[in-house]
Amino acid sequence: MNRWPEISFEDRMSTVHFDVHERAHITVDGDSCHGCTTKACVVACPANLFVPTSDGGIVFNYEQCFECGTCYMVCNVEGAITWTYPDGGHGVVFRRT
Amino acid sequence: MAATASSSGGHERLRTGARAVRAVIVTCQKWVALGAADADSAGHNAADQRFGGTSAADQAALEWALRLGAARSEAVTVIALGPDEASKALRDAAAAGADRLLRVDSSTSIDSVDVAAAITSALQSLGAADVSFIVCGDYSLDRGSGSVPAFLAAMLGMAMALGAVGIDLADGTDVEVLRRLDGGRRERLRLHDSGVISVEGSTATLRRASLSGVLASKAKQIEMHTPTRSIDHVARATTMSTYRPRARQLAPPVGGNPLARLHALTSATHRSTHGETVVLDPQMAARRIVEALTVWGYLDGESGPAADAPTR
Amino acid sequence: MSETDFDVVVVGAGPAGSCAALSLAKAGHSVLLVERGPFAGSKNMYGGVVYPRILDALIPNWWEEAPIQRWVTRRQTMVMTPTQSLTIDYRSDTWAKPPYNGATAYRPDFDFWLAGKAEAAGAQLICSTTVTGLLRDGHGRTIGVRTDRPDGDITARLVIACDGVNSFLAKEAGLYRRDVDANSFTLGVKETIALPTDVINERFGVRGREGADIEIIGCTGDVNGGGFIYTNLDTIGVGVVLKLSKLGAQRQRPEEIIANLKAHPSVAPLVEGGEVKEYSAHLIPEAGYDMIPTLAGDGLLIAGDAAGLCLAAGIWLEGVNFALASGMYAGDAAADALRSDDTSAAGLAGYRQRLERTFVLKDHAKLRHIPHLVLGDRLQQEYPQMVANIVERMFRVDNPRPKPGIRRILTQERRHAGIRWRDLAKDTWTAMRGFG
Repeated sequence: MNRWPEISFEDRMSTVHFDVHERAHITVDGDSCHGCTTKACVVACPANLFVPTSDGGIVFNYEQCFECGTCYMVCNVEGAITWTYPDGGHGVVFRRT
Repeated sequence: MAATASSSGGHERLRTGARAVRAVIVTCQKWVALGAADADSAGHNAADQRFGGTSAADQAALEWALRLGAARSEAVTVIALGPDEASKALRDAAAAGADRLLRVDSSTSIDSVDVAAAITSALQSLGAADVSFIVCGDYSLDRGSGSVPAFLAAMLGMAMALGAVGIDLADGTDVEVLRRLDGGRRERLRLHDSGVISVEGSTATLRRASLSGVLASKAKQIEMHTPTRSIDHVARATTMSTYRPRARQLAPPVGGNPLARLHALTSATHRSTHGETVVLDPQMAARRIVEALTVWGYLDGESGPAADAPTR
Repeated sequence: MSETDFDVVVVGAGPAGSCAALSLAKAGHSVLLVERGPFAGSKNMYGGVVYPRILDALIPNWWEEAPIQRWVTRRQTMVMTPTQSLTIDYRSDTWAKPPYNGATAYRPDFDFWLAGKAEAAGAQLICSTTVTGLLRDGHGRTIGVRTDRPDGDITARLVIACDGVNSFLAKEAGLYRRDVDANSFTLGVKETIALPTDVINERFGVRGREGADIEIIGCTGDVNGGGFIYTNLDTIGVGVVLKLSKLGAQRQRPEEIIANLKAHPSVAPLVEGGEVKEYSAHLIPEAGYDMIPTLAGDGLLIAGDAAGLCLAAGIWLEGVNFALASGMYAGDAAADALRSDDTSAAGLAGYRQRLERTFVLKDHAKLRHIPHLVLGDRLQQEYPQMVANIVERMFRVDNPRPKPGIRRILTQERRHAGIRWRDLAKDTWTAMRGFG
């Protein structure tokens, strides 16, 4: 249907500038994820930072985070995802939004 | 020098240095614009002070300058060379603890030699005899040639220890610098009471400026210095191009089977036979290096660097 | 009162924070404006249109200097099914002249400019500094903020939290309602796509600095939400707004939903051939009046997205103007409170009164049921198909059969879509009450 090539997710994310800090501003409590059947964070995170593992857990990245807050909002296990703002001056830097 | 100039690509090129008041510590930093886009048709230029910064090496250099300043009880002066946006780099440095800010006015992209000459003239206006240490990053955010510190050392007549992967300050009198050599070897240089140092970004993380530091930096005065004209007694790059190794003629390899011939062609299993240790004065050493590189086939006779380039 | 570092600390240099700081600085107060990004606007993203008329009071002739991309002269509302679309298209020449109406702008430009105005008026702006919490005295009264810098506590007689949709400060102060959850928020995702200026002008039927604003309903699959296309000078913003509770309950990812919108036969000709320059995402507080928190605590005010002041009412999609206004009124109310030396919640009551007197809360109160209607299942999943089918049958020439009466089409298509009269009447009543 598309007459232009859809860009890969990596290319899509490479259009965004991130000044990554060494401290992870997202943490995920893996034990909660094993019992979670919906794993809403996996589909909802616009940066695709949450990836399900074969044993029912979640691996996550924090580096290319838009800092939107979707993950902890959609998470259905209270406290499974803790999320703060990255340290001052770090994280996403928008240019043409 | 050539790489520095050729990589400018329309970026504003800004450099900062840090120095102490009584004996001087200088670092060559460069603020580089990281514009995602060129000016759009509305005239909004993304390549402004919002998008840019200094390299990790430059920040490490500032950190070392601040540590040296503390160890030696000397005030640290930061020098930035470039247009008005350089003020941001200066204020950031002041927030982290630098005592004095100086901007050398320059709106256009210039050669490493001229950068060094401008910083030298600025230092002289401050009293260059007081310079103790000059600390520079060994690369800028746009990956220049890292040659400014060497030019500075030459122009100021100071010792130098470049490309540091580790620094031991001790009490700040004798500074020990660990350098990377070929083949995984290391060299340890001791600078007594003064010298030019360039550091890799991994050597230190710039301290986070305190809130009071940030607030105080806003009102900090930035002194201006107008650079003297460019100097002409050094070798200059005439053409800029990407580095391409020169093609070398090799004799057909000799060997009984393809593997042997491949070994012969690539010398993969042989250690290099090049290398010698000589003790010469700087002028002679430079000549000897160029001569050896030419004999070994790394340089043409004509296109090699001038043998009388400043060295120390 | 003991000596404080500043009269007021404003957290967040977005439109709300900068307006609050600007208004307070103009009133002669010492103001610290703290921004966690490396510059004001660096963390901010929106659909693409700002209605800055409220700035008239603070920045006369703002349009002469604001970093505007295009002035919106063409508004379209599109109802879409996978194969059909119905567009209402309005254009106005007067919107191309001062004082204008809507404008497209990049937030890293607009917010940076506005923060600069606050600075010029005397506010102190510090960037790259994240506020990690409130400083409070033994009575729970806010007396300053803690930042993530060394030596980073700042005291103030009053804190104005404009820290955005995730407002950790408002949550810490206990100002949020307990029933605010994923149902109250939508996720906005957007692609900024580069196209030559003359191509944009041709495709969207605009010239010079004129721009188009297209809002779309029915384009987000199983996820309730909407779509948008805005024109900048040499880029277009194409994106979708997705209800969080629905997004998490299905399998289509946000960028796939944008891709489907871009591939729609009515949208593809507008966007094709462009290069994605930036991909971005942000949360939107969309529940309207029903999610607005307590707006003042002792020594604390909240404004902008932090106060849930975003209007998502179908034909009106506004947020930045509410942030500008609430920030400005927060600044005015704070100045009054400082003058009478009472920055308790009671002393700050003038803030809510100002919002209630003006469009900020008047609009929200009047339209309080509209966000639920617009993001509800019937309007999202059933009405677009019914409307498109009705229009399709009205315009289809089905010779040799004679034209059916419009009333008959309406009856048949309502039944065909499985929509009960009762629901239709109820939704119509809600819409009439809100919009009427």
